[in-house]
Amino acid sequence: MSYTLKGRIESRLAALLPVLLGCCVLAIALRHWWPVELCALMAAVGLVLDVQVWHRLFRYQSAWVILPLGLVELGLVLAIVYGAGLHAPLGPALLLFAVGWLVAFVLTQAGYPLLRLSYAEDGGELGRAGGVAAAGVLLVLVGSAATWYVRQPPVVHLAAGVHQGPIVIRRREVLQGSPGAVVKGGIVVAHDDVHIRDVTVLGGQNGIDVENVDGTVLDGVTVQGAKLDGIHVRSAGIVIKNCTIDMLGNKIGQGIDISFNMDMGMSMVEGCTIVGGMQGITTHSSMTDIMDNRVSRTTGQAISVAEMSMGMAMDNEVRDALGVGLNCDDQSMCMFEHNTVIGTQPDTASGDPSRRGVAILASFYSEASLWQNRLVANPVATGAITSSLFRWTHDPGW
Amino acid sequence: MADVAVVGSGLAGFTAYQTLRRGLEPGEIVVFGTDADPAAAWRARAAAIRQHAMRSESDGHCGPATFPGLALRSVLRRRSLKPLLETVSDRYHPTVEEFLDHVERTRERSGWDESFVPRRVGRVQARDDGFEIDGDRFRHVLLAPGHPGLNVPDELRQDVRAVHAYEPHEYASTVTVVGAGLAAATEWLNALAAGAEVVSVRRHEPARRPLNVPREYFSRRGLGAFHRLPPHERIERLHALSAPSYPAGREWDEPLEQARLEGRFRVEASLNGSAQVICATGFLPGWRNDPLLARLVADHDLETAGDWVVLDPDSTVPTLSDRVRTLALAGAPGQWAFPAADTLAGARYAGHQFLRRIKACRTR
Repeated sequence: MSYTLKGRIESRLAALLPVLLGCCVLAIALRHWWPVELCALMAAVGLVLDVQVWHRLFRYQSAWVILPLGLVELGLVLAIVYGAGLHAPLGPALLLFAVGWLVAFVLTQAGYPLLRLSYAEDGGELGRAGGVAAAGVLLVLVGSAATWYVRQPPVVHLAAGVHQGPIVIRRREVLQGSPGAVVKGGIVVAHDDVHIRDVTVLGGQNGIDVENVDGTVLDGVTVQGAKLDGIHVRSAGIVIKNCTIDMLGNKIGQGIDISFNMDMGMSMVEGCTIVGGMQGITTHSSMTDIMDNRVSRTTGQAISVAEMSMGMAMDNEVRDALGVGLNCDDQSMCMFEHNTVIGTQPDTASGDPSRRGVAILASFYSEASLWQNRLVANPVATGAITSSLFRWTHDPGW
Repeated sequence: MADVAVVGSGLAGFTAYQTLRRGLEPGEIVVFGTDADPAAAWRARAAAIRQHAMRSESDGHCGPATFPGLALRSVLRRRSLKPLLETVSDRYHPTVEEFLDHVERTRERSGWDESFVPRRVGRVQARDDGFEIDGDRFRHVLLAPGHPGLNVPDELRQDVRAVHAYEPHEYASTVTVVGAGLAAATEWLNALAAGAEVVSVRRHEPARRPLNVPREYFSRRGLGAFHRLPPHERIERLHALSAPSYPAGREWDEPLEQARLEGRFRVEASLNGSAQVICATGFLPGWRNDPLLARLVADHDLETAGDWVVLDPDSTVPTLSDRVRTLALAGAPGQWAFPAADTLAGARYAGHQFLRRIKACRTR
């Protein structure tokens, strides 16, 4: 097929239209924007390559060429997706791209020639249908962008100073703290798609309580003096970034406790600093990635992936934990990679032999994969008890 | 009375007819020709040069759309995915048998025989609202007269040793093949396989390319620039594109190289004393050699350029086509609009454009 530039673009956009509509349906069903973002990105990457590269490179394009071209476009799309942090899950993203590629292949080889007899002679141009398809794609993308804009939650600015809580958030909103903004008595998130940024929380039963909602983002929050947990998450989808949690003196609470949200997809705790508490970060029946955090001086376990959880703890730094540093417990599947565990202390008072200052512990039918962790000055480097096991890598890192 | 006539019942007319059937019933189309079998002339030529596989690819068929191609049909017939895998890399070439079978099946289900009228058309004359063909009136006429005849060099016309490649023949012990296109290359191999000593006489070295013309000339990408050429440059371009060529590939090169090493194949500039001379020199070129076209040009003072009748990009004759009537040329005479007009893709192109004109006609 010898495409004209117009034909190449029209063929691409017409093939993209059904995929884009599918992406919109998927976005509505999932209540996430990534399918539409991915489709828009596919269109943008494809069009740029069409204009700048493919049209100049190929005066004639054999059918098989669509395979390497598709792989190049896939590579670029994924690079941008993950470079720009669009958070599209890899598997579905690949599937979506593959569907788009397949639709394009079937349409260009069979569909278009049947619908427009002179398709090949016209260099891939689709006549009026091409214009309609281009307009359709544009309309869907503009409509999606407009919907996204309209659906942006209102921003509530919290002024500097102390605000008496607890604050209960019952609508979609962004709570943006000004420097020095403090909420005394805790915050309760009671609606989907709430973002809390740069707010300090003092006291409260739980510093920030997130239950039965989705799409919560906590960015740059500071929690001090919570009676129970610093951040308490139950049955909720959440992303926690750049938080600071002071749990010193609290012997029963957790810095961050994310539980029972397996059905909400992936959650994430990233870039937080947690001091004190029984457990620094703990998950139960959850799929949570725990990355780039600093946890110290905990009295139970610094980071615990427990109760049939599946998760990755990566690039975390654990210092001076009492008893156990990293814990994989209760039929969980854990991946511990590139973590540093320093100076875990033996908990002699507990009389529990599994708490003899173990840097990484797997217990009760759990399975932990280890890769290049750095374990320094711990009485016991690793321990697997009660039918648990480590999947040893060839370079476990100590 | 039918509105539409196709003059010529060969493969070009047949292919155009398949496109017309997308918009018209068999009773609305009349096909004038001398043989109801659209492949009759082509079959004889293919048999003469013992052709087994087509030069064209999966889309080299008579259907109105490129899909489904012959590769897909071959998959179903052979119960093998190999043709499909070959066609995505442009390496699938249908066999002559597959192609002829496709023609026959298409003929049966398209209503071709219902539209066919056995008549050799001698004259097409324009009228205010259409055309008169030997007394019958039509609004839209597509002329697909085919090649006007076999081209035999003047100096060989009286030579008893000479036979045209497209005429039935066997091979003598020493054979000279004049020409350098696909038919010539096929004849080199045929004669070598028959044990002959072969001399190739050629004026130019053949181009090696998969199809008759470079692939971009099959689509608007190459056609757009071609249509913008001034007449004298377009004539030059058509002459250049008509230069002999045959596909590259080991299946051609290895037997020739082997024969060359054995002293059984060589290239010479002029005829020698071979027992047989095969003229693989194609067909008589141009409208002047076709009585129907020559009369049409004379009757209506049509614009010509060299060997070609000047056509609009949609293969229609500009002065004889307007909003109520259409005169189009398909097959070899349509090269002014589509350089590969003498291929099946070219006939399909003419058919598409012709149907488009008919649909846009305000009288329909």
